[in-house]
Amino acid sequence: MSNLGQQEEAFALAKEALKNDMKSHICWHVYGLLYRAEKNYEEAIKAYRFALRIEPDSQPIQRDLALLQMQMRDYQGYIQSRSSMLQARPAFRQNWTALAIAHHLAGDLEEAEKVLTTYEETLKNPPPMSDMEHSEAVLYKNVIMAEAGKLEKALEHLEAVGHRVTDVLAVMEMKADYLLRLDRKAEAEAAYTALLDRNPENSMYYEALIRAKDIPENDHKTLKAVYDSWVEKSPRGDAPRRIPLDFLEGEDFKQAADAYLQRMLKKGVPSLFANIKALYTNTWKRDTVQALVEGYVSAPQSNGEANGDNTEFLSSSHYFLAQHYNYHLSRDLSKAMEHVDKAISLSPKAVEYQLTKARVWKHYGNLEKAAEEMEKARLLDEKDRYINSKAAKYQLRNNENDKALENMSKFTRNETVGGAMGDLHEMQCVWYLTEDGEAYLRQKKLGLALKRFHGVYNIFDTWQEDQFDFHSFSLRKGMIRAYVDMVRWEDRLRQHPFYTRTALSAVKAYLLLHDDPDLVHGPLPGGANGDDADSAERKKALKKAKKEQQRLEKLEAEKRDARKAASATAKGADGEAKKEDPDPLGNKLVQTEDPLKEATKFLTPLLESSPQNIEAQNLGFEVHLRRGKHALALKCLSAAHAIDPSNPALHIQLLRFRKALDNLSEPLAPQVAEVVDSEFESLLPKGQNLEEWNNNYLSTHKDSVPHTQAGLTCRQLLNAESKPQCEKELAATLDSQILALETAVAGLNLLSEWGSDQTAKTAYAEKAKSKWPESSVFQLN
Amino acid sequence: MVDIVPLSSYPSYIDLLPSIQTCNITNLPENYFLKYYLYHALTWPQLSFVAVVRPKAGYTKHTDEEGRGSATLAEQYPKVVGYVLAKMEEEPTDGMAHGHITSLSVMRTHRRLGIAERLMRMSQRAMAESHRAHYVSLHVRVSNTAALRLYRDTLGFQVESVESKYYADGEDAYAMRMDLKDMWMNWEEIERKDRLRAEKDEKDADEGDDVGDLGKKDAEEKEKEKMVKVKVGRGLGVGDLVEKNESQVQA
Repeated sequence: MSNLGQQEEAFALAKEALKNDMKSHICWHVYGLLYRAEKNYEEAIKAYRFALRIEPDSQPIQRDLALLQMQMRDYQGYIQSRSSMLQARPAFRQNWTALAIAHHLAGDLEEAEKVLTTYEETLKNPPPMSDMEHSEAVLYKNVIMAEAGKLEKALEHLEAVGHRVTDVLAVMEMKADYLLRLDRKAEAEAAYTALLDRNPENSMYYEALIRAKDIPENDHKTLKAVYDSWVEKSPRGDAPRRIPLDFLEGEDFKQAADAYLQRMLKKGVPSLFANIKALYTNTWKRDTVQALVEGYVSAPQSNGEANGDNTEFLSSSHYFLAQHYNYHLSRDLSKAMEHVDKAISLSPKAVEYQLTKARVWKHYGNLEKAAEEMEKARLLDEKDRYINSKAAKYQLRNNENDKALENMSKFTRNETVGGAMGDLHEMQCVWYLTEDGEAYLRQKKLGLALKRFHGVYNIFDTWQEDQFDFHSFSLRKGMIRAYVDMVRWEDRLRQHPFYTRTALSAVKAYLLLHDDPDLVHGPLPGGANGDDADSAERKKALKKAKKEQQRLEKLEAEKRDARKAASATAKGADGEAKKEDPDPLGNKLVQTEDPLKEATKFLTPLLESSPQNIEAQNLGFEVHLRRGKHALALKCLSAAHAIDPSNPALHIQLLRFRKALDNLSEPLAPQVAEVVDSEFESLLPKGQNLEEWNNNYLSTHKDSVPHTQAGLTCRQLLNAESKPQCEKELAATLDSQILALETAVAGLNLLSEWGSDQTAKTAYAEKAKSKWPESSVFQLN
Repeated sequence: MVDIVPLSSYPSYIDLLPSIQTCNITNLPENYFLKYYLYHALTWPQLSFVAVVRPKAGYTKHTDEEGRGSATLAEQYPKVVGYVLAKMEEEPTDGMAHGHITSLSVMRTHRRLGIAERLMRMSQRAMAESHRAHYVSLHVRVSNTAALRLYRDTLGFQVESVESKYYADGEDAYAMRMDLKDMWMNWEEIERKDRLRAEKDEKDADEGDDVGDLGKKDAEEKEKEKMVKVKVGRGLGVGDLVEKNESQVQA
């Protein structure tokens, strides 16, 4: 029944069976299995325990219990289970290994090592080289020793048995690492030399080698000689040629850079600029590189190949300069455009050149043009998915969700349930779902935005679930080190930037929905969202939005029917029949009663996994404050303050928190009030004159536009009458030399937040537009 | 700058998997669940390698907390610009253990740096050393001339056959393979030396016994000679042992 997908019936039957026979271990076991299938692991563990109490010697029950204990990270329980499984069957190596893993993950390294050694001592003869499981167990034991800090012992062990281990590279890496940590420099040098002989493209090896050789940081000559020796050994490699550019200075740098650049430009290596740009934090190096490459294009015959075909060198050089002038540390967009056009005229079919042209448009702030140009790049090589992905991404940045999906569908399996979008979900295409959701969020189509963000959320759940099978599989295969690394990775899964980004966007979407419940019907035409609550105009707009929503639903239903007709039995990649999504537009998601509570679903793991992300703390404050959780809101403020006390968003939030405390509709519970007051006192003291505090902030950070924007926001919060003056000063920030386009756009959004009138917005937008004449982002809705 | 690192051996970088999956689905039409990548990483941890962009400020972590060990990129999520996902054929139809390239890709923006070649060579070597793969096989689209050039001309693969309509879009594939036996380690030799050493140890334990027989003494001398050789081999360390092994093969 459970396998048939009829969970409820299965549970009813199991309960019935238990009623008939409370003492049947089989019934309890099945009951547990049902819970496990539902992913209710806690209940499943309880049921297994009952079954085991009735039938203590049952290996299948014991094994199922152990797997769940591992999944739930109940290490003490797992140790118990594994001990009794070992007692029952001590002849199996994997039972020993499993117990060692249990102790290892529980933090008892001594015991883990002891278990492995005990097993080893039962072996009369060394197993043959072909015994991979043994080879891996040896390395596993070695890793445990090293983790326990017993490096000498680990090294000795490795010297004694390492030659029998078939993962040769691992042994070399471990040995080199231990030697370096033990400060046994001469041997470490030999070990890293051996590693570099195998793989000269690893900067970490060079770094270690140089530490082992004790070469002082400023002895550039000796350093360069080391790298040169590897250029000789591996003439086609990149690392030993590129790394010296990091430390060389003056004429030495210029010479080395010249040789490096010319070589790569002649080869037409497209990643040359990506390889070089890290040097630009040093402005002298940046200017030197610029002068060199400008020299190549102005006097191309001087490069010594006047007779050969020089076109590739020339077009590569223009391409390089296009990227150079497009880069934020050396930006001059008109020059970038000039060079990219020259490169394209020399090699009209080069996808990379056309791609760069689209990027220049992006930096101009014209997303429409950028998407158009990227589409041209795509058409240059329609069989290449990379450029197809780029084109779709640029369309999403331009809020063209349908066009983007149309492009993506050229490489998806469109017979999947749910069509191209279904395939992108199934194949866990996180980047696309995130970009798609963010595009919907910008358009205030919150249902679809939330739909995508939940899609990513579910993918992370799946990834967490994925480990389950490996708890048994990896023991069979015996590849323990990788398994342990996986377990640890799963424990910090949502630390991944993919999760962080989606969670931040999802929280923003829920905040928007909470602040403007009308958005449940989609964006109101004419930007009427948030305006006077009862105006006739709002009602009209609302009606229109609802109509649009119905139209979309109908459209989606038609698409679904068409797909159904096309393939009566669509199946997923795993062969299982998949059901159509009952809520493809996310209407159910957006109709939530409590957006803030839903937001915490994304927020809690975000704050747990990435507490150092200041934007996460900023948004955490917004959610908690709206939920009336003052202590939690303050916790976010304190955390943000610890990361960056002058953070602009934090500055505004400090003021808003002060005001919120001053205007509580009902007082906080006494204990809460005490904690909040005393902790907030250190962030923004009660006796502080707020205007003075804000003016201080403004003058300290007068050269930074984001900080100025925050200071002005606070000023108009403190004194509504200062708004016209603040608007003027905000427009004046557009004169700043170091202003980024994104910051200027944020300024325009700020005016909406302040509730400024159309005149102020128009003035700002026009001034911005004159500074970025090619842009399309300063449109008023 | 691009660094080439193992996926899940030592150090182990399983946390790169989501970015590897993204690299794959950005570049290629053949895509997989994350679990399939995990399956590779956890079954054949020696065989897969990743190309990552070194962060501007370098890697901030080390294998130990004091920063004395080698740098590591764990928990820093650098950008992945290439990978090779490889496995051993589980039920080889010809009965010969051999490796298979499940997926290889390098971002278009990072081509012509030799990354794919390096990834392939690392994986091939590991297949031979760790698994005694007789050969490595792979499929490539007949239209993919750049890949064909890499496999055939640079690496030395040979076309085995054409598999009709191998790809979902109907394109044919070349089935290619390359022999790996010349990279095998000499397991028999290692086992033999270990055996001799064990016997020697046993003898050492019996050293107090009388040795009256001349012939026996001779035998002991011989053993001693052999033992010296063994010691040289072991003293060289694993890395050297492997290099030596290779040069023997070449010679």
